[in-house]
Amino acid sequence: MSILAQVFTADLFAAAVRLATPIALAAMGAAICERAGVVNIALEGMMLVSAFFGTVVAIFAHSAWLGVFGGVAAALVFAALHALASVNLRADQIVSGVAINLLALGVTGFLMEAIFGHPGTTDPVPTIPPVFDFPTGGSGPLATIWTWIDTIFLSYTPIVYFGIFCAVFMTWALFRTRWGLRLRALGEHPRAADTVGISVLRGRWVAVLISGAMAGLAGANLALEQVGGFTENMTNGRGFIALAAMIFGRWVPGFGYLASLLFGFADALQIKLQIFTNVIKIPPQFFLALPYVLTVIVLAGVVGKAVAPAADGKPYKAKG
Amino acid sequence: MSDIDRVSSIAPPPSGGGTSSRDVNEKDFALQRERSQRIIKAITPFVSIVIAILVSSIFIVATGGNPVAAFQALFQGAFGTPRAVGETLLRTTPLIFTGLALAYGFRSGVFNIGAEGQLYMGGLAAAYFGVTFGGMSTYLAIPLIIILAAAAGAAWAFIPALMKVRIGANEVITTMMFTYIGKYVVSWLVTGPLADNSGIPQTAQLPPASTLQRLSAILPFLGTGRAHLGIVFAVLLAVVIWAVLKYTTLGFEARAVGYNPFASQTGGISVGATIVKSLCISGALAGVAGAVEVMGVYGRLFDNFSNNFGFTGIAVALLAKNNPLGVIAAALLFGALDAGGGTMQLEAGVSQKVINIIQAVIIFTIAAETIVTWSIEKFRTRKEAGL
Repeated sequence: MSILAQVFTADLFAAAVRLATPIALAAMGAAICERAGVVNIALEGMMLVSAFFGTVVAIFAHSAWLGVFGGVAAALVFAALHALASVNLRADQIVSGVAINLLALGVTGFLMEAIFGHPGTTDPVPTIPPVFDFPTGGSGPLATIWTWIDTIFLSYTPIVYFGIFCAVFMTWALFRTRWGLRLRALGEHPRAADTVGISVLRGRWVAVLISGAMAGLAGANLALEQVGGFTENMTNGRGFIALAAMIFGRWVPGFGYLASLLFGFADALQIKLQIFTNVIKIPPQFFLALPYVLTVIVLAGVVGKAVAPAADGKPYKAKG
Repeated sequence: MSDIDRVSSIAPPPSGGGTSSRDVNEKDFALQRERSQRIIKAITPFVSIVIAILVSSIFIVATGGNPVAAFQALFQGAFGTPRAVGETLLRTTPLIFTGLALAYGFRSGVFNIGAEGQLYMGGLAAAYFGVTFGGMSTYLAIPLIIILAAAAGAAWAFIPALMKVRIGANEVITTMMFTYIGKYVVSWLVTGPLADNSGIPQTAQLPPASTLQRLSAILPFLGTGRAHLGIVFAVLLAVVIWAVLKYTTLGFEARAVGYNPFASQTGGISVGATIVKSLCISGALAGVAGAVEVMGVYGRLFDNFSNNFGFTGIAVALLAKNNPLGVIAAALLFGALDAGGGTMQLEAGVSQKVINIIQAVIIFTIAAETIVTWSIEKFRTRKEAGL
């Protein structure tokens, strides 16, 4: 029992939200992108370039915030590549996404050695501090409750709060605005949308760029709010997990956020449990594999009931 | 005129004005157009290689390097000496298997992005059974190990295949997740249950009976260093896969499902069964890649023993246009890049990570084939205009 009490602390839930944030940001962006009919398997690469260029800018401009902008800008460039290939050139969107993931790995690895002179990890950068800093402590039940509230709701960095805001705002924008209706039309029946005068080209570009910006924020969150630096391939499959979260969330940004919390919780739990490996006697690899196993289980249990947008992944060619 | 129109109107040959003002009737025009498109399709891979070299050169120049010196060093490192050729063949070997794995999948419309995970499982099977069968005759042990490794790779692909067919889970996500899981399984086994007693996380050394001979041990005059018999087996297997796809019912069904699953279903082919078979065959081929690495190169299994061969297989298959025989050539290219990369880094001071960029650009340009058709047309019209 004492182990359970040590594991399930307020810290665990706060860590779950923090660790869920990059996955959630990418998943929500991907939901917008696929609602417009473009599959974005390049989330992983976009997160990675953002984490790298975010760190580089933060180091050389001595400003973590400029780093965030730099990271998002880099992710947008990669998103533009994906949009060019999949919207204008009608390429296979999955293959284009794979190319971009590989390009991100190559470019970050190459420039890493060119700029820092060695592979692996960059110099550390100071992380962006939490938004609030309320005093906690004291004794008594009231102080304990306050500490819980402070840890679970008030302890986060700016991008984490932005993620929560996006969960609400993007869901509203997608389902309660004219813009959202038009965007969804592109993913369900682009021909019909085109017929009534909605530009498929422009709409899909916007969607891919939004997805790129969100993946960029995810990378910036990872590098500048969580880790404080860049390590080669530091995204470690989060882009793919984000896609699973998006499917689990049925292509609704808000649900995608909630699905990401599940993955964040699994990640937080495995980190916490690793401390107890000498007590529980389970090899650490089992915990490390947990988020990936969970992804498979979630997909196995849910996918059959979730239906993708009808024209998801299909290039659109205007008749002319 | 939208951008889409502009791009799609590039492909047809120039008409009206220019050099050919003679009367061409419609049929001739269509034939000519088809022929020119076929030629363009055939040279696409070469053009994409050229584009990739150009793009990577930009990166090299931007970071203060000399691309000519870099690629010279790379070529020297890949083909300069018999030993270098051997090193190229060594790295080509697993890429032929993974390239075949991806190509077979693509042919039937599945994207086995997780070949890396199946490769790990094949390597695991080889490391385990290699020791177990060490007392057998080598002629019995090696085929047995390869079959078991193929089965292990197929098994690792089976659950994603089933998930795709039964509930429509995208194999790109599931096989990727299985890759991470597989790498952790291997990591756990080599540190614990299967570790030798050296304290290093690795399995025991394979006995001679279950290792693949070096080419230079059989034919000493080759002087090809570490290159092993696996390359011969890889080339033979490429021919077999080519024949399977071209002449067997199995291959026909796979291709039919890849072309048009709905028509195949209507025509009486079980699409689900075909997809499961194809993904498992793909997994088996990737598993053999891992086994051959363990039996031919390292003689044992350890963490991260694969140099991302599963992922490079994607580029190999795409560059080969999913043709099993083309896979041999494409694998040789990437094997050479891999082998020469070290020399390039040492002699020209250019990070070998640039090879990842080359791979990515090749995949990207082949995916967005229009880029290539567009550059060819541009080149041709400029030539016709006498520039």
